[in-house]
Amino acid sequence: MGSYIIRRILITVPLLLTISFLTFILINLSPLDPAEVVLQAQGVPEITEDLLKQTKEQLGMDKPFILQYFDWLYATLQLDFGDSYINSKPVWSLIGPAFLNTFKLTLVSSISIILISIILGVICALNEGKILDKSVRGFSFFLTAMPSYWLASIMIWYISVKLDLLPTSGMESYKSYILPVIIITISYAGIYFRNVRTSMLNNLHEDYVLYGRASGLSEWKITKHILRNSLQVAISIFGMSIPIILGSTVIIENVFAWPGLGTLSVKAILSRDFPIIQAYVLILAASFVLFNTISDIINAAMNPKLRNDL
Amino acid sequence: MKKCKLVGLIFLIISILVACSAENSTSEKKENDAAKSENELIYASAKDINDMNPHFYTGSMPAQGMVYESLVENTKDGIKPLLAESWEVSEDGKVYTFFLRKDVKFHDGEPFNAEAVKKNIEAVQNNAEKHAWIKLSTKIESVNVVDEHTVELVLSDAYYPTLVELSMTRPYVFLSPKDFKNGDTKDGVSGFNGTGPYILTEHKTDEFATFTANEDYWNVPPKIKKITSQVLPAGETTFLALQKGEVNFVFTDDRGADSLNVEAMNQLVDSGDYQLVRSEPMNTKMIVANSSKTDNPISETAVREAIWHSIDRETISKDIFNDTESVAHTLFSPNVNYADVDLKKRGYDVKKAKEILEKNGWKTENGEEVRTKDGKKLVMELFYDSNSSSQKTQAEFIQASLKEIGLQLEIIGEESTSIANRRSTGDYDLLFNQTWGLAYDPQSTIAAFTSEASYLHTTKGIDKAGELYKKIEQVMVSTDEQTRKSLYADILTIVHEEAIFIPITNGSVTVVAPKNLNGISFKQTQFELPFELMNFK
Repeated sequence: MGSYIIRRILITVPLLLTISFLTFILINLSPLDPAEVVLQAQGVPEITEDLLKQTKEQLGMDKPFILQYFDWLYATLQLDFGDSYINSKPVWSLIGPAFLNTFKLTLVSSISIILISIILGVICALNEGKILDKSVRGFSFFLTAMPSYWLASIMIWYISVKLDLLPTSGMESYKSYILPVIIITISYAGIYFRNVRTSMLNNLHEDYVLYGRASGLSEWKITKHILRNSLQVAISIFGMSIPIILGSTVIIENVFAWPGLGTLSVKAILSRDFPIIQAYVLILAASFVLFNTISDIINAAMNPKLRNDL
Repeated sequence: MKKCKLVGLIFLIISILVACSAENSTSEKKENDAAKSENELIYASAKDINDMNPHFYTGSMPAQGMVYESLVENTKDGIKPLLAESWEVSEDGKVYTFFLRKDVKFHDGEPFNAEAVKKNIEAVQNNAEKHAWIKLSTKIESVNVVDEHTVELVLSDAYYPTLVELSMTRPYVFLSPKDFKNGDTKDGVSGFNGTGPYILTEHKTDEFATFTANEDYWNVPPKIKKITSQVLPAGETTFLALQKGEVNFVFTDDRGADSLNVEAMNQLVDSGDYQLVRSEPMNTKMIVANSSKTDNPISETAVREAIWHSIDRETISKDIFNDTESVAHTLFSPNVNYADVDLKKRGYDVKKAKEILEKNGWKTENGEEVRTKDGKKLVMELFYDSNSSSQKTQAEFIQASLKEIGLQLEIIGEESTSIANRRSTGDYDLLFNQTWGLAYDPQSTIAAFTSEASYLHTTKGIDKAGELYKKIEQVMVSTDEQTRKSLYADILTIVHEEAIFIPITNGSVTVVAPKNLNGISFKQTQFELPFELMNFK
């Protein structure tokens, strides 16, 4: 197992390096002169040749491309992503709190998604084909199909404005979490509970269930066994759900004015604040790689057959 | 049995949550009401206030306008004293002597005096490359302290818009020298203490910023004691937050983009809680034609004139802007200084447009839809900002109108930065743009006619380009009001006759405010509001 973990982690190194390189060339893919982008992001009303030259020198953009990359990589490895073009603050001081805010939202949402998915998945599987199963699936299909932006607006209007129960936006107290978490849960639990349900159903028809029943085990105990086995499949899906939510909170964060990564990245993209965009892409990509690795390791721990696949 | 317990537990948790929220929301509602009675304004802003360094361009202008002040103020009735009580201009127009107010302190208690003025202006000059757009930055030779409250500004040449440019929201505004880093501001500052009516007291990036009334303000301290800028990126949320009263003030942002659409504004006014106030025209939204693109029909004056005649501005103003923007017939609306010039009006007239093209050799052959001349087709491209829904709609509308006169218009949406880049490299036929706005015009827009970064490609292809540039040069250094008037009239006539700036509508600032808020007025710029004059009934 130990050697599997080491091998699995080693694989991520070239992957992360490739990602870092692709992230870096982002700025050079833009048809505009990077120095001009910097000045436009700073809102300088008129850009002159002298200013462009001066900016290039200041930012080290006059060096050869590959040298610039190594300088950047070296700094990035020390978590120094440079300074924001817009307000000259170090990127980490902006990304750090935003990441934390998004992570809090993601964590609460993930727990909610996992709980709801398991509960719904189990209920549906145990009631396979019955009205309850059909209606839960139908209703969830309906909800997931609705654009989250629209759903969020409707809920803010009804719950916050009409009933005056919760704040419309911002991140003030635990109450601010309720609506965004509900919207994110609706978007994802509707998909994930099907995985739990399918996996439960597959297990329900296994021999051990038949054997358990024949041995007179209680239905509750049998269900617990089925659940444990079904969850193995679900773990990797849940594991990946965290980075997926982390990266897809953009819309929700904008609607709810949540001061997180999504809001920050949209603002950075619109104003071409490249150091922030680079850090954002890198963090997201790294978290995908990280969570993928973790779920692989967990799966391998549970299923020794997988360890030889690498 | 256990299933029942689980369901029971869930219900319990939900009911506790709901109970708590219900209880807290009543107290929150009370807080909201309290805020209103305490004279608080909370305005929604799509963006954070950003770096408030007044010598840079990243900060929010309305916020900078509350905190910092300039020597003089630009008003409807001309330049008025602000931090300078009075001033004298030398005979040759090169030396400006300012007599400063004696009772002014920065927010941190530091005195505002000649030394502070000198340090601030020098800090701006130390970063002169960034201020190339403001021509004064290229003219300032030195700032001299005459005595504690007298300061002298020495210019290399006479420059008539000096006072106007000193009155702008940035960069010539004053920050406490204690906030300077290493005696300068170009590498950032350590605080944001101005002399203005409001003090920045709290700022949480991307959440909110709070400004409290400066009780030691040299002028009458503001009646509204607290102003909060609340970051709300989505217009839909802003609307809901206004309905609920979490925010109670909104105005068009500094790029002229409305976060609230017209319907939402009307709905708020209909609710009886809000009023809608609109300023006089502040700028002109227009289409800029590249006269120097010789390989394209756009370089012909007649083609540009025909385009001008084919645009139905009434319909654009009514149907696309819902009457929030008025029809524009000239580059500047007549309320802009020096712009009340008699220019011939080119109305919406498709027949005339066709005649002009016909007369200039653009014919339709063999029943083809697109006109041709010497084997060349009447085809061109119009670039619009892909983030602006109104520009896109206008572009589509204009495309359809031009098709009628046999002109094939390709419309292309791009990022605003990329459009700015096209403008400076001359890589365009037509593109959307707008004038700088009341306080800056006509001098800033006109100065931009000769600037590579702005309208050089737009203007340099016309026959009278040389004459135009000469007159622009003259008007900027002219010290005689009558001469300036006649020079501006000539400049505006030349660009109008050449039809290189095709005006569409005049934009103004829109404010949605609580019904009982008094004293809403506007400054001479679309970028800030005089919050200090507002009060609740």
